[in-house]
Amino acid sequence: MLDTMDLQRKLEILADSAKYDASCASSGSNRAGRGTGAAHQSGVCHSWTADGRCVSLLKILMTNECVYDCAYCVNRRSNDTPKAILTPDEIAGLAFEFYKRNYIEGLFLSSGIVVSPDRTMELMLEAVRKLRENYHFNGYVHMKVIPGADQRLIDQAGLWADRVSVNIELPSDKSLRLLAPGKTKDTVLRPMNRLAQQIAAHKDERRTIKSSPAYAPAGQSTQLIIGATPETDREIIKLSEALYGKMALRRVYYSAFIPVMKDNRLPALREPPLLREHRLYQADWLLRFYGFTADELLDAAHPQLDLSFDPKTVWALNNLDKFPLEVNKASYEQLLRVPGMGVTSAKRIVRARRAGALKLDDLKKLGVVMKRAVYFVTAGGRYGGIKKETEAAIKIKLLEHKNPNGQLDLFGQGELVREGLEATVTGQL
Amino acid sequence: MRTYLYDGTFESFLTALSLALERDEDCAIAREAGAEAGLFSEFVNAGNDPARAAAMRDFFEELGSAESWHHARCAFLSEASGAEDALLAYARLIKEKGRGADDMLADDRVKRVHGLSASVGGEAHMFKGFVRFKELADKTLYARIEPDHNILPLLTGHFKGRLGEFNWVIHDARRGRAALHFKGRLVYAPLTPAGAPEFDGKEDRVQALWRHFFKTAAIKERTNPKLQRQNVPLKYRKNLTEFGG
Ligand code: SF4
Repeated sequence: MLDTMDLQRKLEILADSAKYDASCASSGSNRAGRGTGAAHQSGVCHSWTADGRCVSLLKILMTNECVYDCAYCVNRRSNDTPKAILTPDEIAGLAFEFYKRNYIEGLFLSSGIVVSPDRTMELMLEAVRKLRENYHFNGYVHMKVIPGADQRLIDQAGLWADRVSVNIELPSDKSLRLLAPGKTKDTVLRPMNRLAQQIAAHKDERRTIKSSPAYAPAGQSTQLIIGATPETDREIIKLSEALYGKMALRRVYYSAFIPVMKDNRLPALREPPLLREHRLYQADWLLRFYGFTADELLDAAHPQLDLSFDPKTVWALNNLDKFPLEVNKASYEQLLRVPGMGVTSAKRIVRARRAGALKLDDLKKLGVVMKRAVYFVTAGGRYGGIKKETEAAIKIKLLEHKNPNGQLDLFGQGELVREGLEATVTGQL
Repeated sequence: MRTYLYDGTFESFLTALSLALERDEDCAIAREAGAEAGLFSEFVNAGNDPARAAAMRDFFEELGSAESWHHARCAFLSEASGAEDALLAYARLIKEKGRGADDMLADDRVKRVHGLSASVGGEAHMFKGFVRFKELADKTLYARIEPDHNILPLLTGHFKGRLGEFNWVIHDARRGRAALHFKGRLVYAPLTPAGAPEFDGKEDRVQALWRHFFKTAAIKERTNPKLQRQNVPLKYRKNLTEFGG
């Protein structure tokens, strides 16, 4: 199966169309047992492409043909580009050969819609079933669910895959109707809802009957396109909050809109809004791990995330009455809200102060970014910031640290690189 | 000052550590090959005493905790210069404070050992992704690695779970050692390959497909070589298939 040049060409076409899907997570699932493969609990990146994004999955489309015509999508029917389709055998074989050599953690399979949503789902399910049954593959599989497919087929996806997802893509019904004819909020949310129910039901069942099958053990995720439509950051973050809360989604991915297609319904952006995407990931991170709510981060008067400061710093500057915090007394939850402190350093503080009172000098050793935290904490009653900590004064100081040479960095490129270490993809603060 | 010499193995190091801990006055631990005689130093060969080594493990696990033992072992695998004396200082602290020692995260002795352990753990985690197998003519999967730290012992469990029934070899070319998984059994052995291995007929094609995929997966509008370099340091690239390794 691997011996034709043809396959190389097909792979090129189908990887090219799949790459805009931002989801790279390969963690959160633990399949073990007979056969080859074990999905790693904490996620493993295998390589990073020239754009600095982690590669952990063979991310491909089964086909880039599509019967629909969504404006933002390279695969849309009216786009006159080379089309290709992989057979279930080719997909399973390719994934296995790559996995065996440790190129990847597993497979991410998406697809344009051939013939009908049902036919497309059937072929995708066949590919994953072959990988699991013929190759005894226990590695990670992320499968896209095709909106509009029969419920019976959607239900099967979770039995073969570790993670399932339906991309919302556009954050409002209005935008969907405008740019994705054939999709509405309802056609997208219905399968998501169904998957959420299935996941919850199987989890319940497994609590009592251990041997019952796992259903999408790595949960459900989705993706939103940023900057193609006029939704504010507030609308987007509120949507994410609802998805995490009501549908128990594991991840929402944000993808800066890249105008691969020309269409007069789409904005003419010169550059993808990468910094905005980065800020959304940071805000998302604050929702999931730092105990913030969407309303704390953005309100009607300030519906957009500040591009010059990360959202936690903005929150802290707006809430100076809550600071400075005494690190020897503050709770873990309070510490998490200090700019310059993350989950790791907050945990370290809580642990280290058991062994003795902490001094300001100790904080740096514990991994706190003091040039930011200094304005917001005391240690043993000592404060290291400016005397009268007004919002304006702190802002100026923080900006000086960002641009030590006094150069203006209008597009935030420097910051993307500096903060971007692991953050661009994960949104970790 | 007395310096205990060990032969490079972990067991011998633990023997030296145990001897050093029994003395009250200052002493040091060094690897035989690297130690330089000073005017006022006295060298003592620690040898290799399995009973003492086992007792040191108990010392870390019981006086400290499972975590202390984990950090001690990983810090040793770092092969960093000064790691031996850092471990001696850490062990002394555990002797004094017991379990609470590992809470003293701002203390330089703890920070040093935890830090070494974290960089070893970090590199081992990275290599769970960076190991690249090539299929040999006899279907064995062969990978060559050149990590900074001696992480081979930390990788084998992961690949044993992952590769099931396959026979495989991970070869640390920098240290001339390999982990071999053959018919379900795992052994460590010195390895210096005589010539280039013979690959399976399909190997080149699979590699070409992977390189192709890798190149295609990058998004042109987001090109960011700096970020790529932070994540895949140049020093690791020569054994990575997608970078021409
Ligand atoms: S249905 Fe999916 S693949 Fe088809 S055009 Fe719309 S977004 Fe693209």
